[in-house]
Amino acid sequence: MSPASPASPADRAVGPRGQLEDILPLSPLQQGLYFHAVFDEAAPDVYTAQLALDLEGPLDADRLRRAVARLLERHPNLRASFRQRVNGEPVQLVHRRVEVPWREISGRDPEAVAAEERARRFDLTRPPLLRVALVRTGPARNRLIFTNHHILLDGWSTPLLAAELLALYTGAEPPPAPPYKDYLAWLVRQDRGAAGDAWKRALRGLDGPTLVAPDLAGRPPAEPGRVRAHLSEDLTARLTAVLRSRSLTLNTAVQGAWALLLALLTGRDDVVSGCTVSGRPAELPGVERMIGLFINTLPVRVRLRPEETLAGLLTRLQAEQAELLPHHHLGLADIQRLNGSGPLFDTMTVLENYPLDASAAEVGDGLRLMGAGGNDATHYPLALAVVPGGRLSLRLDHRPDVFPRTAALSLLDRLSRLLKAVAADPDLPLSRLDLLSGEERALVGAEAVPGGEAPAGTADATIVSAFAEQVERTPDAEAVAGDGISLTYAELNGRANRLAHRLIELGVGPETPVAVLLERSPEVIVTTLAIAKAGGTYVPVHHGYPPDRMSWVMADTGAPVLVTDREPGFAHAAAVVRVDSAAVPGADGGTGDGEVRYVPEYDPHVRVHPDQLLYVIYTSGSTGTPKGVAVRHRDVLALAADHRWSGRHRRVLMHSPHAFDASTYEIWVPLLTGGAVVVAPPGELDPAALARLTAEHRLTALFLTTALFNLVAEEAPGTFGALAELLTGGEAASPAAMRRVRESCPDTVLGHVYGPTETTTYATYHAVTRTHDAAPPIGRAMDGMRAHVLDRFLRPVPPGAIGELYLSGAGLARGYLGRPGLTAERFVACPYGGGRMYRTGDLVRWTGDGELEYVGRADFQVKIRGFRIELGEIESVLSRHPSVAQVSVAVHDNRLVAYVVPAAGADTGTAAVEEPADAGRAPVRGLRDFARTVPVGELRDFAGETLPEYMVPQVVLGLDALPLTPNGKVDRAALPKPDISASGRPPQTPEEERLCRLFSEVLGLDRVGADDGFFDLGGDSIAVIQLVSRARREGLEISPREVFASQTVEALVRGGSSGREMLLPLRAAGAASPLPPLFCVHPGAGLGWPYSGLLRHLGPEQPVYAFQARVLSEPDYTAPSIEAMARDYLACLRRVQPHGPYRLAGWSMGGLIAHAMAVELRERGEEVALLAILDAYPHPVRRNAPDEREVLSELLAAAGYRGTGETEDIVAFVQAQGGRYATLDEPTLLAVYRNYRNGVKISQEYEPRIFEGDVLFVTAAHGREADSPTAAEWKPYVTGMIEDHMVACDHESMLNPGPAAEIAALLGAALRRREP
Amino acid sequence: MTNPFENPDGSYFALINDEGQYSLWPAWAEIPAGWTVAFGEDTREACLEHIETNWTDMRPKSLIQAMGE
Repeated sequence: MSPASPASPADRAVGPRGQLEDILPLSPLQQGLYFHAVFDEAAPDVYTAQLALDLEGPLDADRLRRAVARLLERHPNLRASFRQRVNGEPVQLVHRRVEVPWREISGRDPEAVAAEERARRFDLTRPPLLRVALVRTGPARNRLIFTNHHILLDGWSTPLLAAELLALYTGAEPPPAPPYKDYLAWLVRQDRGAAGDAWKRALRGLDGPTLVAPDLAGRPPAEPGRVRAHLSEDLTARLTAVLRSRSLTLNTAVQGAWALLLALLTGRDDVVSGCTVSGRPAELPGVERMIGLFINTLPVRVRLRPEETLAGLLTRLQAEQAELLPHHHLGLADIQRLNGSGPLFDTMTVLENYPLDASAAEVGDGLRLMGAGGNDATHYPLALAVVPGGRLSLRLDHRPDVFPRTAALSLLDRLSRLLKAVAADPDLPLSRLDLLSGEERALVGAEAVPGGEAPAGTADATIVSAFAEQVERTPDAEAVAGDGISLTYAELNGRANRLAHRLIELGVGPETPVAVLLERSPEVIVTTLAIAKAGGTYVPVHHGYPPDRMSWVMADTGAPVLVTDREPGFAHAAAVVRVDSAAVPGADGGTGDGEVRYVPEYDPHVRVHPDQLLYVIYTSGSTGTPKGVAVRHRDVLALAADHRWSGRHRRVLMHSPHAFDASTYEIWVPLLTGGAVVVAPPGELDPAALARLTAEHRLTALFLTTALFNLVAEEAPGTFGALAELLTGGEAASPAAMRRVRESCPDTVLGHVYGPTETTTYATYHAVTRTHDAAPPIGRAMDGMRAHVLDRFLRPVPPGAIGELYLSGAGLARGYLGRPGLTAERFVACPYGGGRMYRTGDLVRWTGDGELEYVGRADFQVKIRGFRIELGEIESVLSRHPSVAQVSVAVHDNRLVAYVVPAAGADTGTAAVEEPADAGRAPVRGLRDFARTVPVGELRDFAGETLPEYMVPQVVLGLDALPLTPNGKVDRAALPKPDISASGRPPQTPEEERLCRLFSEVLGLDRVGADDGFFDLGGDSIAVIQLVSRARREGLEISPREVFASQTVEALVRGGSSGREMLLPLRAAGAASPLPPLFCVHPGAGLGWPYSGLLRHLGPEQPVYAFQARVLSEPDYTAPSIEAMARDYLACLRRVQPHGPYRLAGWSMGGLIAHAMAVELRERGEEVALLAILDAYPHPVRRNAPDEREVLSELLAAAGYRGTGETEDIVAFVQAQGGRYATLDEPTLLAVYRNYRNGVKISQEYEPRIFEGDVLFVTAAHGREADSPTAAEWKPYVTGMIEDHMVACDHESMLNPGPAAEIAALLGAALRRREP
Repeated sequence: MTNPFENPDGSYFALINDEGQYSLWPAWAEIPAGWTVAFGEDTREACLEHIETNWTDMRPKSLIQAMGE
């Protein structure tokens, strides 16, 4: 064989009998590798293997090169290339002759050369799939680097290959090994059916794959990192002895230990990993000398049983594996296909019992092999290789982007400890296996220290005693505040005492449950406190509950008394105490002002024990009925006493529903620490309302559910800049929202809180101080509480591992009211520090800093809009409907979706299952893809009879059958994603178009029709707020109430935005307009649109809003005074622009209102940059009341009307204008007239206060008389300058095109002058 | 992850503490200090039934005494 000339391998492969010697199928593993190699041809091929031999002594490079060529002659499979047949089946083509790429290099770092050799990708179609580099490293030192694609040969083959190569070099010709082809033929003879059955049996009932990096899909392959560890000689010996005494193999021990490690990493107790087996069938003669790819990576399934011992586990595992041995020839892809699954594992182990003898060996002719190394990569995130020897060697290849080096090292460390445990005490039950290092134990607080120390000073206190002390300390401090609300501690105490006496009269005593159904108001606080003072337990119920649920709660608690502010409207047997103004005199509980005659105000002095129940809050229960969480006085005191609140929670907004446990924080933290509860007005709060409350009531802290927080972060992240602390939590936090708020409110502490109702509102807390890529941690346990993260053997897990969160210590509720079994299931004995611990069902992990990170739920509990919901409860309710055979409820995109399989016979066209024709029900669309129709509206109504609104599925889908996992459970992952798309009529006007677009944006849909119902498409109250605030940004004023009432775009346009709204956006402020808006106030007729004449001249960037009289939208309304109008408009103004400087203008009566608004704004500390008064004067004098005609002429002149003045003619004109003004029908015009008359009256009564600032005044020069008032009349009411301009027009036509241009020029100059 | 308290086929105890509070407890796990076996080992269902029947006053014993009953 002569040295090859430099010709291309392809040329050289053409021999006399054709270039191909053979065409062979691929072995299963070759198929797998082939797939991976061609899958992404651009990425580095991670299946490149390398063998390096260090040779010392005189080396003949040519001889070595010929030896390599000879090696390829002896092994046809090393000459293979790989192609796909037309039918897609891959084949290996054995070429007769191929040229081995050979490089000789000197003077370079051999490691760099090796890396270079690895980096060059093999083209599977061009043989050979190997290359050799000889690096001269010294005078008589060389390193031979043999690089090949893994598809040619495996790790077991490399020592054979090295030995053969060196033998060939010395001129020897070892006996020929059987060809790889024999093995391929053997494969064909195997019983694939039997093997398939065996693997199916082995994997039966497996509940999903075991993935340590489930999010890896789509990421490019990465060069692995590698870490190593060794067991000491002594430990290796002990391990070997123990294994031998139990007849266990080292491989079994490695697989068992790896399974325990995986269980810890993934939180599973049924784990699968890959194990590389030699794959060389013993029955094939000479198989031990064959070179090629035989190894197979097969799933090893390990089920962990807590009662089993280590040795028991390993013995069982070994027996299970032995049964599979005859079936090792089946490829992994086939096994996964049989199991009906995708990848089963993403980690693997291999026992390398083929060590290259790295000790020096004589090759011959003075050449010595000094050492050998290899580089054999896998594509798994974790791959463990165990090399037997005097010191057992562990080598872990890891994807550094998933497991950084330190993480990989700590995994190896834990694995070593597991093997050590096997050596030390094989009879230890798994449940007592200690997985933590000393450091980790300290970090996660797993030492058995006594928990549950209540914060100092709360041991013997109750809410009643703590509040009484606060009243003593600060009787005159404000305890309750709000819009028009202020109660001192003494006043609150007095009112609560009076109601307490009344309750005691009604029989309320220690732990008597008292139901509370109240709209948000100070009465909530008074009532809550009164019930506590009487010794009773308050049970808040939500007015959103359907009557059945209300009745159920009343019956479940057996509450003998209901405190409410309304007609209850549901069945109950309780005595009703009304605490509203409609209360019957004499029967009243006596909390209102002044009406109480006989109820004493002194403290009732009922003895209350700290362990007594303070309240019961109902949460969703999986069995179909809600469960009442019973919380003690002690628990709430512990919450209020937490050191984290100190100083920052002085004025806290109460806005959460009373029946939601955030109210515990909102009421008791401020009240027990001397602060004030600021009561928000009833109804849903949007970001603008929150901003107003924050500013007006000097809030220092508040809690927002995740959904509301995200909304505020999106709409107005700076809203809470003035707060000392903003708390949020309840659902998975958005890192982007967190970042926005942090950046916009740098001085506000952002507290991320977590806690189930069962542990009194908050259990853990984390102050967000940096930007997180994912959700920030939920932090550390609150004072007196302890967090335990346990695996399914109730062992503490180390940092990074997923476990279930258990909470013990202060704040742990007594249990579930009247549900001993359920309580004993969830409030369980605590092995760490005694007492009880609450099993949260939340999956979490410790960070390296000892904080907790939320991972998910262990069960089917979800959170929607902050409410904890058991999907099982909804399923249980729906399944009671006669047309439902099976039902499963899931959450998609924050929507509850019910999947319903109709009952047999129910879908045969009977009326019960036909889609109701009732359009009012507006069934959810999206059913057309599904075979079955279900009575959507009926099912939702049915659910709504017993479930609160937030638990009624927004979407109901009919299915033929529920998808099942192989072991027969509902496969929730396989439930179809609902196709929630609207199919209503397309929008017809620009307004409809705009709203349809906003609907679709907020709901995340491609399109929404004008007659599609907002709620039917999955909208909820948070989405409403989002819609309203987006609309407002675009200048559309709609209120949440209007959305609730109208539901469709069509109805909203018809009713909500008629051109009669109070704040008319002539040109709305939007993201595009850099300028602050100008607000104009309507003249006497009440319409704002005459100001539209200014728009053109103010320029396209100047936003302009016009206030219109309330009478336009509420025909029966009569404004009591100019000041009242000003206040009314200011509330609206601040929604568009929460803070000054403000720019105001007003014509005629609008000038008086604008002045009053400016005064009010200054008094609130806001800046007013411009007050423009257009020909308006204080104390206007009218000799006679104007008549109808006069009003209309003012109105119509401005509109461009030049007609006869007859009513009919006017109406025809207005309607001919089209658009929004067409709706100004005759009754409206009459309302305008009434408004005008009232306006004249209140204008005359208006006594202006003093405005601190300048006034831009415009005088209408025409039509004046000698005694007409002048701008100077304003002097007493303005501290600054009055700049008077004359415009040539009369009062009525000031906003006609000509004068409007002049006035706009004046305003424009002033606006620019006063720009910040 | 199957929670150790949620195995329908598992063996359990009903434990009780000094305050007369009950806890379901997996039979394979060591019994924490301060608790004793009130019932079992038996099925999960049987243990819960025992608890439902016997834990009629869910107030802790010390509170029952303090409230003077």
